[in-house]
Amino acid sequence: MFAQVLFSGLALGSIYGLVALGFAVVFKATDVFNFAQGMFVVCGAFFAVTAITLLGLPFPLAIAAIIATSAALGVVIHVLLIQPLAGRPMLSVIMLTIALSIVLRALIEILYGPQGRTLATPLPAGIFLIGGVRISQLHLIAAVVSWACMAGFGAFFKFTSVGLLMRATADNHEAALVSGVNVNVMNRLAWAIGSVLAGIGGLFLGQLQIVSTELESIGLLALPAVVIGGMQSIPGAIIGGLLVGLIEQFAASYISPKSSDILIYVLLMLILMIRPWGLFGQRELGRV
Amino acid sequence: MTVTQASAPSRLDHKTARAKLGSVAAKLFTTLAMAGLSMSAMAQFEAPADGVYKDRIDWGVMMDLSGPASASQGIWANGFQAYMRKLNEAGGINGRKINVLAEDSRFNPAQDKINYEKLVSQTPVLAISGMGSSSSQVSLAPTIRAGKVPIVGTYTSTKPLSEPVSPLVYGGFCGYPQMAQTGVGYYTEQLKLKAPKVMVVSIESAGGAEYAQMVAAAAAKLGGTSSLVTMKITAADVTPQVLEIVAQKPDFITIYGVPNTAILTMKTMQQYGLKIPAFGISYLLAPQIYAAMGPDAGANYNVVSCFTPGGTDQAPGNREMMAAADKYNHSAIKEDINYVAGWAVGQMAAEAIAKTGAEPTRAKLIDSMNKGFSVDTKGLAAPITFTTDNHTGPVAFRMIGYDFAAKKYKPYGEFSDYLKYTK
Repeated sequence: MFAQVLFSGLALGSIYGLVALGFAVVFKATDVFNFAQGMFVVCGAFFAVTAITLLGLPFPLAIAAIIATSAALGVVIHVLLIQPLAGRPMLSVIMLTIALSIVLRALIEILYGPQGRTLATPLPAGIFLIGGVRISQLHLIAAVVSWACMAGFGAFFKFTSVGLLMRATADNHEAALVSGVNVNVMNRLAWAIGSVLAGIGGLFLGQLQIVSTELESIGLLALPAVVIGGMQSIPGAIIGGLLVGLIEQFAASYISPKSSDILIYVLLMLILMIRPWGLFGQRELGRV
Repeated sequence: MTVTQASAPSRLDHKTARAKLGSVAAKLFTTLAMAGLSMSAMAQFEAPADGVYKDRIDWGVMMDLSGPASASQGIWANGFQAYMRKLNEAGGINGRKINVLAEDSRFNPAQDKINYEKLVSQTPVLAISGMGSSSSQVSLAPTIRAGKVPIVGTYTSTKPLSEPVSPLVYGGFCGYPQMAQTGVGYYTEQLKLKAPKVMVVSIESAGGAEYAQMVAAAAAKLGGTSSLVTMKITAADVTPQVLEIVAQKPDFITIYGVPNTAILTMKTMQQYGLKIPAFGISYLLAPQIYAAMGPDAGANYNVVSCFTPGGTDQAPGNREMMAAADKYNHSAIKEDINYVAGWAVGQMAAEAIAKTGAEPTRAKLIDSMNKGFSVDTKGLAAPITFTTDNHTGPVAFRMIGYDFAAKKYKPYGEFSDYLKYTK
C-alpha cells in the first residue's frame, strides 16, 4: 500500500508542481501573486474540450492549439490588465487577479453551460503492474510530461538567451530596462509560460477528473505548493507540488481525506512563520 | 306535445314565460355580476408579503448555481425554470405568471442563510424549492421548521429538515432511505447474497454520513454489514479509497457524491482490475458520467432512480419535457437526471399553487398542501403522493444503467417491480 500511495502522490504532485511552476514563473518575473492561476488550469481544460471534443482536431494539432490559446490568454491578460497596473500596490494587483478568476469562471459557465464535460483523448488509460504496484498509464504520462515541462523550462531559463533575459528582468527590472531589455515583452512571456503550464495541468486534470470550473480548487493547490517550496524558486515550486501531492495521498490513506487540508496548510503556516522565503527560496536582505 | 304548446301558447302561458324569462335574465345578470366581481376580486388580490401580486407569483429557488455541486444543481434549476416557462407560456396559474427567483447557495451554508432570509422577507416568495446542500439543510432546519415559508420539492433530504414530518417541508427528489433500501435489496437479490457486505463511497458531507447510516440499516435488515470510505469533493485521485475497497472486498458498493466521485471511483477501480458492481445515488445519472467512465468501467455502474431521465422512454411527460428542452436551448442537458428532477418539482409546485386557489398566501398554501395532494408527472416518475403524515415525495425506484452501443439509458424493469424493497 505504501508504494502504491507513494506513486499516486508523486504523480498527482507532479501536476501540482507543473501548475506551481507556472505560478512561480509569473511571480518571479512580475511580482504578481496570481490568484487566477487555478482558473488558468480550468481554461486549459476547456481549451482541450474545445479542440478535442468540439472541434475534433487531431490530437497533436489539438495540443498545439491548447498551448497556443493558453499562451495567448496569458499575454492578453498581461497586456490588458497587469501592465496598466505596473507600479501600483501589490494589493490592487492581487484583487485584480481574484476578480479575474471570478470573471473567467462566469464566462466559462456562460459559454459551456453548468454541466461538466468529458475529455476523451487518445492517451492510454490502462495500467502497468510493477512489483505489485499498479501504475496508471495516464498518471505516469501526466507525471512524465510534467517533469519534461519542468526540465524544459528549467533548461530554457538556464541555457537560452531569452531565458537569461527573463531571469535578469525578474531579478532587477530597473537594471534590465537600463540594459535595453524590453521588460514588457519579458513579462508577457512569463505570463504566457505561466498560462501554458497551467493549461497543460488542466489537460491532465480534465482527463483524470471531469472538466468543470471546479478544477480551479485543484489548481489552487499550487498556491500552498509554491509558498512551501519558495515563491521565487523554480525547483522549490516543483518540490512544493510534490510535497502537496504526497501529503494529500498519505493523509487520505492513513488518516482521513479532510486531514490533508490540515497537514498542507499547517505546513504552509509553519513555513511562513519559520522560513517565509520557502524551503528553496532565497532570503532577501535589505540595507537599512 | 311540446311542439303544440310552443306553437299555440295561451295568454297565461305568455305571462308565465315572460315572468320566467325575466327571472332567468335577472339570475343571469346577478350571476354574471357576481362572477365579474369575483373575477375582479381575483385579479385584484395581492399579498406582496407572501410574494403574490396581481399578475405574478414570486417563487424562490435555493440551489448551488456555482461551486462544486453546480454541475448537477444548476441543471436541476434549468429543469425547474423550463417547466415554469412552459406553464407561463400557457397562461400561468389563475392568470398569474410564476416568477422564479433563483438564489445561488455556492455550496456554502452561510450563503444559504442569507438567501433564505432574503426570500422570506426582502424579496418575499410564496414558497421555496431546491435547498440542494445537505449541510445547509441541516444548519437551516430549525429556522425553516419554525418559519412560515414552505419548502416545496427539496433537492436533497436530510433528517433534521424532513423528520418528523412538518407541514412546511415537502420532498422533491428520490428519498435516501428508499434509495438505500432499493439498491441494497436489488443487488442482494441479483447477486444471490445471504449477508451482503456493502461499502459506501462518499464525499465528506452531512448527507454522505446520513446516507451511510441508511445503507448500514438496509444491509443489517438483510443480515449484512456496511462500511464507509470518504473522499474530498474535489478529489483528483482516489487511490487511497480504492485501496480501502481492495482491502475490504465488499460484494458491491454504493456511491454518494458528485459526478466526479462516481467517475474517479469507477475509473480507478477499473485500473485495479476490480469488477465490483456499484450503484450510484439518483443524482449521479447523466450521459456525461458514463462517457467519462467509458464502457469498461461504466458496465459495472448503475443508478437507483425515482425519475425516468429524458429520452429513456416515450411516456407523454418525457416527450413533453424533451420538446421543451429543445425549445429552450437545453438539449445538451435534457438527458441529465437533474433536469427531469427539476421539471418534476416544477410540476409539483404548479399543482400545489393551483390547489391553493385564486387567492394564494403562504398560510393557505401550507394548509392546502398539508391536507395532501398528488402529482401526475405523466410518466416521468411513479405517481407522487403527499399525505398529512407523509411528505417524502417520490418513493418508487428502479435501477437504470447505460447502453454504450445505443448511447441510451437502459432501465431494468418497472418502478412497480422494486416496491418490495421499500415495503
